[in-house]
Amino acid sequence: MIVPQFEYLVPQSLQEACALLGQHGSKAKVLSGGSDLIVKMKNGLAKPDYLVSLKNLDELKGVRYEAGTGVIIGSRTTHNQVIANPILREKYPSVCAAAATMAAYQIRNIGTIGGNLVNAVPSADMPPILIALGAQARIVGTAGERVVRVEDFFLGPGRTVLGQDEILAELVIPDQATTGSNYVKFGLRRAGALAVVGVASSVTMAGDVAKDVRIILGAVAPIPMVAREAENVLRGKKVSDDLIQHAGKVAAVESKPINDIRGSAEYRRNLVDVLTRRSLKAAIEKGHV
Amino acid sequence: MSEATTQNKEYSVIGRSFPKVDARDKATGRARYTGDIKVPNMLYGKILRSPHAHARILKIDTSMAEALPGVKAVITAKDVPSTMYGISPARYDETIFAIEKVLYVGDKVAAVAAVDDETATKALSLIDVEYEVLPPVLDPLRAMDDDQPQLHPQYPRNISVEIHQNFGDVDKALAEAYHVRTDTFSGTRTSHVPMEPHAAISKWEDGKLTISCSTQSPHYFQYHIARVFGLKMGDVRVMKTFVGGGFGGKLEASGAEYVSAALAMKTGRPVKIVFDRWEVFTHHRGRHPQHITLTTGVTKEGKIVGCHARFIIDGGAYTSLGIASAYYAGAMIPLIYMFDDYRFDGFRVHTNLPSCGAQRGHGAPQPRFAFESQLDMIAKDLGMDPIEIRRLNARKPNTMTPNEFQVNSCAFTEALDKARNISGWDEKKGKLSSDKGIGIGCGGFISGNGYAIYRTRLPHSGAVIKVSEQGDIATLYTGAVDIGQGSDTVLAQMAAEAIGINYEDIKLVTADTETTPHDFGAYASRQTLMSGWAVKQAGEEIRKQVLELAAEMLEANVEDVDIDRRVIYVKGSPDKVLPFERVANEFFIMRGPLVGRGKYAPPKLGGKFKGAPVGTSPAYSFAAQVSQVEVDEETGQVMVTDVWDVHDCGQVINPMLLHAQVEGALFMGMGEAMYEAMVFDANGKPLNANLGEYRIPTALDVPHVVSDLVDSYEPAGPFGVKEVGEGATLPTMGSYANAIYDAIGVRIYDMPLTPEKVWRAIQERKRM
Ligand SMILES: Cc1cc2nc3c(=O)[nH]c(=O)nc-3n(C[C@H](O)[C@H](O)[C@H](O)COP(=O)(O)OP(=O)(O)OC[C@H]3O[C@@H](n4cnc5c(N)ncnc54)[C@H](O)[C@@H]3O)c2cc1C
Repeated sequence: MIVPQFEYLVPQSLQEACALLGQHGSKAKVLSGGSDLIVKMKNGLAKPDYLVSLKNLDELKGVRYEAGTGVIIGSRTTHNQVIANPILREKYPSVCAAAATMAAYQIRNIGTIGGNLVNAVPSADMPPILIALGAQARIVGTAGERVVRVEDFFLGPGRTVLGQDEILAELVIPDQATTGSNYVKFGLRRAGALAVVGVASSVTMAGDVAKDVRIILGAVAPIPMVAREAENVLRGKKVSDDLIQHAGKVAAVESKPINDIRGSAEYRRNLVDVLTRRSLKAAIEKGHV
Repeated sequence: MSEATTQNKEYSVIGRSFPKVDARDKATGRARYTGDIKVPNMLYGKILRSPHAHARILKIDTSMAEALPGVKAVITAKDVPSTMYGISPARYDETIFAIEKVLYVGDKVAAVAAVDDETATKALSLIDVEYEVLPPVLDPLRAMDDDQPQLHPQYPRNISVEIHQNFGDVDKALAEAYHVRTDTFSGTRTSHVPMEPHAAISKWEDGKLTISCSTQSPHYFQYHIARVFGLKMGDVRVMKTFVGGGFGGKLEASGAEYVSAALAMKTGRPVKIVFDRWEVFTHHRGRHPQHITLTTGVTKEGKIVGCHARFIIDGGAYTSLGIASAYYAGAMIPLIYMFDDYRFDGFRVHTNLPSCGAQRGHGAPQPRFAFESQLDMIAKDLGMDPIEIRRLNARKPNTMTPNEFQVNSCAFTEALDKARNISGWDEKKGKLSSDKGIGIGCGGFISGNGYAIYRTRLPHSGAVIKVSEQGDIATLYTGAVDIGQGSDTVLAQMAAEAIGINYEDIKLVTADTETTPHDFGAYASRQTLMSGWAVKQAGEEIRKQVLELAAEMLEANVEDVDIDRRVIYVKGSPDKVLPFERVANEFFIMRGPLVGRGKYAPPKLGGKFKGAPVGTSPAYSFAAQVSQVEVDEETGQVMVTDVWDVHDCGQVINPMLLHAQVEGALFMGMGEAMYEAMVFDANGKPLNANLGEYRIPTALDVPHVVSDLVDSYEPAGPFGVKEVGEGATLPTMGSYANAIYDAIGVRIYDMPLTPEKVWRAIQERKRM
């Protein structure tokens, strides 16, 4: 349980950070809050020679709103900052609520939204709600900036589209027509438990009709999974309890859970069904909760 | 909670919620735990542990590790005594390092001492061990089969302990019973999870070994460490530091002590070893998973007529304290309900998994869960209310159990009635909405063990109190061990009460084999009663000496002189008073040190049959616990919303600490009921030896708790006390399982009550 030796680098600008990452290649790792990375290092699951700390890059911290673009969340924003942010609380309280399901207060004080995405574990709590809201990732590298949908950000457990010299700079939740969104997590205790299943949804309601629906499943596939068939059950339809029931069943069927110590595949499918229904109902009836 | 019921007006210091003596040290971080301590020249020790559940050690090459700069010693079995240790001579089966074979993932193979933690860790990775991997025994239900590998040559068929106890005529009782049920239940391997890991610093100077450590019993550590290293007990000094929780896991010396001592002897420098969390889990010595089959018969009216309990108990690799656990499993069953015919057959078997030992409630919580569950099933079969069937069978004061435990005070019926009232049972039972339920579970426990762990004529507790020469303070020297439960505070209150001075006047020197009188330590819920007796006696001796001198000074008859909170007075003459300090000071000037001494040895207890001592105690506590739950039928998730615990624990010394013990024990019972289980892969490797995947309840998970008491006074306890620290773990599992049944009509027979398990049971119910 000892962190192996490493060299600690503290760049003063994003460019410098990317340059350091480019220079040291696979020997370097970005350090944000460290609540995933340091744990891995202690357990011998990561052995970087260099840690490139983002702590002095103030441009990566905080949440702002830009008209015409949307809500912009710096990747260094901690979960507790997300939870308390007035802009998010007003526009997308569902994002604050998702952050509030995570870990415990102390971890939420150091863990960041960027780290949660780049770490890319199937059970991570922030990706599903961000995907449901159509969020985009702004990525900065030595060659400049690019934008990728969060939906396309993940390649597999622990793997993302980020190149060796790239940093996740910001997340953008674009202005949108959705009328409601919600994330439901099922963990094995009320704090400090990873998701056995997490389901996020967003809906665009016109009266009783769901003009658009997004359903994103966490912890039931190698990466956050879009439940396309379940979305199709509702998209463009007049919403009813029966239809929501049906969407839950369809989501359960298309999910791809595995057996592990937190739950069997069979049980997880049941949870997908239940949580999909609950998430949809909340998004439809209560807005962005 | 009404303090009035717990507070006896006659007393000045006991019965009051004084803050703990170490509250300030702990709240400010000034308290130093073993891991915080650094001594000059200290080395850091680390233990190399087996990656295999069962393997033969073919070769160990330590040369690379020895060559690493900063490494001061590398030791293996050939460098240390091969003396076996354990609970009792016939079951000594563990050595400092594994000699031929390793028996579980985590078994001790070698160790290093180095100038810092990093170097020690690195050196471990340079020790090359060649193993021949053997097939492991992982299923306790198959461990006795002929085709299974053998762990220890001295235990054929992997049987660690075999028990058969028979009282009365169970077969006849069951044959004549109106209704008989047989049900099988099982529990899991839960661990103590002390926040502070095991830790020790050993020094070896001039042939004397001094160990500061996180311990529940300096005495047992001293006894076994001296024996294993072939030293005089007087050449081994064991001192307790602050302890961050024990719960049974620090009652026997671990690799932290044995290995740091061996390294200190080899290097001549102090050596510190602190376990990491993985080591705490794999060292374990916690709960035994038990497979329990109960056959119980009742009359038409619901009176229990007999019970036959059968156990297969997974003991893991070594015996540890497990013989006692195995006996406790069956011995405690007939404690709280009255019936004469009882049989108990048990096998504790070895598997290549972490060794099980003593954990809060010892062997009793899982059998209690089984019995409380089955009693509810019987009540249902007979159409009776669960509290009614318990009242009908509840033990009465001044009775004896079939296995010859003498019960003096017993307010179990009163506890049941109070639990019924304060929980609103009659308004709720069968009347709650379909997702809610209410259930009851009960328990009872020993207040100290009738016999020590090894055979000895030593009294169980001793105490010395010395009043200062100025008479302003009194220092209590006790071997009792405060591991967070508050024994120092409670004993200080008892000392002050017995002398007639104030709580703040008592200073403490505790838990050091060299400076404090003998005491067996913190286990079996023994200290308030047993150490308390010794302290009370020591305090009364001082009081007597002071009052005698005061009588002379006041020219009064000694029978007329009394003391209360430092004021010595002549009864009926309000102007004839003397302050305590004047008399104490005068005493020293005229007669020398003002000292009081006390000791306690329990009376001869129990029957003559094999295993009769286990479960004997001067006094027994009783408890009734009602729980209310809400079940999410779609996910199987259970939320416990409220628990009402009513304890019969005799006279209360410190109500705040008492209720804290009830809550702590109850939350630990809740962990075992709903969350906790160590799990292993097909090769016996632990899958959740960490706090992320081995989940104990958090502050957000625990229910609202009402902790209440019934009036009770125990003649066998000092000031009338009985236990509380372990008893409240016992009812919880049964009370939750019964509440879940009440809510949704599904019965879960195996712990823990996880959402998936509850969900599966609901699916099954729907299919039927
Ligand atoms: C006790 C505990 C409980 C937890 N509970 C939960 C939970 O309930 N739900 C959950 O989802 N997670 C949980 N986590 C995991 C973790 O806290 C979160 O994933 C957190 O958001 C990680 O953020 P961080 O800033 O600490 O990341 P770090 O550990 O600093 O980094 C994580 C990974 O991302 C990379 N990285 C970080 N930031 C960037 C960036 N801007 N650009 C490029 N790469 C980057 C790092 O190189 C590293 O590989 C828990 C962790 C602990 C220790």
